[in-house]
Amino acid sequence: MKKSLRLGAVVASVAVPTLALASCSSTGGTTSGSTSGVSSIKVVIAEYSKDHTKTFWDAFARKYQKTTGVKLNLQIINWNDLDQQSSTMVQTGNVPDILNENAYASYAADGLLYNSDEVLPAETKADIIPAFVKSGTYKGKFYGMPDLSSARALFYNTDLFTKAGIAKPPTTWDEFTAAAKKVTALGNGAVGYAQPLGPEEAQAEFAIWLFNNGGDFKKNGKWTLNSAANVKTLEYMKGLSVTDKVTQNNPGSTNRTDGAFSLFEQGKAGMVVGFSPLQGALGTQYPGVKYAIAPMPSGNKAAPQTYGVTDYLMSFKKKGNESAVKAFYKLYYSPTEINTWIKAEGFLPVTTTGLKQFGSDPKLKVYLDTLPNIHLTPTDDPEWDKIKGTIAQNIGLAIAPNGDPKKFLDDLQAQAEAGK
Amino acid sequence: MVGGRLRRRSRDSGTASIAEALLWLGPALILIIGVVLYPAITLVATSFGRYSITGLRSGDAGVSNYVGFLTSPDLPRVVGNTGVWVVAVVVLTIATSLALAQFLSKSFFGRRFVRWAVIVPWAAALVISSQLFRLIYDYYHGILNQLLLALHVIRKPIDWLGDPHFTMISMVLVGVFVSIPFTAYLFVAGLNGIPADVYEAARIDGGRPWQIYRQITLPLLRPAILIGVVLNMIYVFNSFPIIWILNGSNPGFGNDTMITYMYKLAFRSAQHDVGLSAAAGVFNVIVILIAVAVYLRFVNWRESSDA
Repeated sequence: MKKSLRLGAVVASVAVPTLALASCSSTGGTTSGSTSGVSSIKVVIAEYSKDHTKTFWDAFARKYQKTTGVKLNLQIINWNDLDQQSSTMVQTGNVPDILNENAYASYAADGLLYNSDEVLPAETKADIIPAFVKSGTYKGKFYGMPDLSSARALFYNTDLFTKAGIAKPPTTWDEFTAAAKKVTALGNGAVGYAQPLGPEEAQAEFAIWLFNNGGDFKKNGKWTLNSAANVKTLEYMKGLSVTDKVTQNNPGSTNRTDGAFSLFEQGKAGMVVGFSPLQGALGTQYPGVKYAIAPMPSGNKAAPQTYGVTDYLMSFKKKGNESAVKAFYKLYYSPTEINTWIKAEGFLPVTTTGLKQFGSDPKLKVYLDTLPNIHLTPTDDPEWDKIKGTIAQNIGLAIAPNGDPKKFLDDLQAQAEAGK
Repeated sequence: MVGGRLRRRSRDSGTASIAEALLWLGPALILIIGVVLYPAITLVATSFGRYSITGLRSGDAGVSNYVGFLTSPDLPRVVGNTGVWVVAVVVLTIATSLALAQFLSKSFFGRRFVRWAVIVPWAAALVISSQLFRLIYDYYHGILNQLLLALHVIRKPIDWLGDPHFTMISMVLVGVFVSIPFTAYLFVAGLNGIPADVYEAARIDGGRPWQIYRQITLPLLRPAILIGVVLNMIYVFNSFPIIWILNGSNPGFGNDTMITYMYKLAFRSAQHDVGLSAAAGVFNVIVILIAVAVYLRFVNWRESSDA
């Protein structure tokens, strides 16, 4: 008796923490009203910044409620927890009406989403920059409505460049290596190139370099993950740390935000691939760092390519919520709303009107010019959602001193093809 | 014996009706059903389902999630890491806590202050402690490297969290640091429960300090040590934040334990599969139950708890 009781206690205390991790509860929900529509919608937004995201969306919710009479239940979730929470929502059948995520194709493939014909006003669709419509289109239908975008470019520390005697930013890979070597040779903790290949967002770093070497993830509907250009790119990236030793310590274990960016913000890194929020941080928190921005150097003597990222505001099919969802998009894409938010967060527009509105800002010119021809990742393929995860999680091993770039990319190609 | 007495008393005063019994047991039952039973059933059900990357259930998977998990090439490494992690943290925690408890149960100037200091790591959330250690261990800015460099212990900085030789050691030290308060206080309570006259008798019989410790203190502390080991095994095995945060910027699964591996299977890997992760979760529960059972058998639990 006594023993079994205690064993029960042990079982319980073993089981609870393990289970709590695996099974999570979700809160909130939408009550479907009559045929005329719903009385409330649930909107899940990713937290881009502590300062601006909540401010904007709280005001947006009030405005939405006022114009439509439908209550907007807002839930803002940290990027680190977003995948888990959205997965739980789908798992428990408790999906939001609007979800802000960095991927949409898997949801579209599962038949969970509305497409633009159902919920997006035609004039709004016409306003979205065609490159983003293309990346949001799965099997001929536009499901992934872009909320904002960002483009990457090469940031270089002009003080370090002057000290190292480098006259202008590198335009080829040879010049890049040479410049990084000169900066590293300055000593005193100087790092030629801050290379983030840790699991946070390594697929972005890889994409930037391979796009500028004529490579791509997918071409003409076929995966080209282990193409010669891609293998050469990854070998070059590995060489920067292993043979040339011009990067910070252990790039495969360095994340972007708290690793590479922080080195640049401390004035220790000669170069880093950055985007406009980094520019914002440098301007407000680290005014001592003198820097300039240049297009990425090219590995194949072609014109520089700009790597871009967009996130999505997708809408879930739920009974009677079409008109409420439609009203949401209508309000969100009105220039005063979307562009206010994008400006506050320091990102780039996704609409033609936004391009015009932001065009007056000289700081953003370097990105805006490239935006219409921006090079995006194959977000329209559900398989990419997994490929992306594999690259982020494992590329650090491939560029370690004992890593094998070619084998890594061959395995990746096999994974992508098996997924078909 | 206890049960007999209870039974007799309840017969004397008449049997309680089922409704009455439920009224008393209700809150506990609701808690057990809601917090233990329901998640357990959901976990097992999930482990037999086929899930899309979005979390949508697309059908039954049979045992394929279990097969997939058990044949995963990363599993041996992860199981090995888990073994090292649990054994190292528990052994070091118990050993350090025994010494610390001995110290804390003596009276000395400033004891109150020291006792408070020991409890602080326990009061801080694990996530916060882990973040703090991430800063301490940092390759470029961390205070640990700066200190060791200044003292000329090392000639160039060590990548405590990124260098595979050091990652596990660094994580184990944090695990020990956050486990000590609870364990040390458990042992302090155990030491306070040992009657002073036993020691007096031992001293009169001419026992040396080390002899007294080994033959009086340790045996009488046995129940506390048993509980300390079992609870720490479970806590440490299930510990997520320390490994998740300290190992957060490392690629692959080279430093993961079963718990962080389970999470990565669901949300951070090529598989991205909730069903597979649930199978890992069921496996985890079984593993820790077996580990605890083996330990209890090994130390002859029944004998000591009936004593």
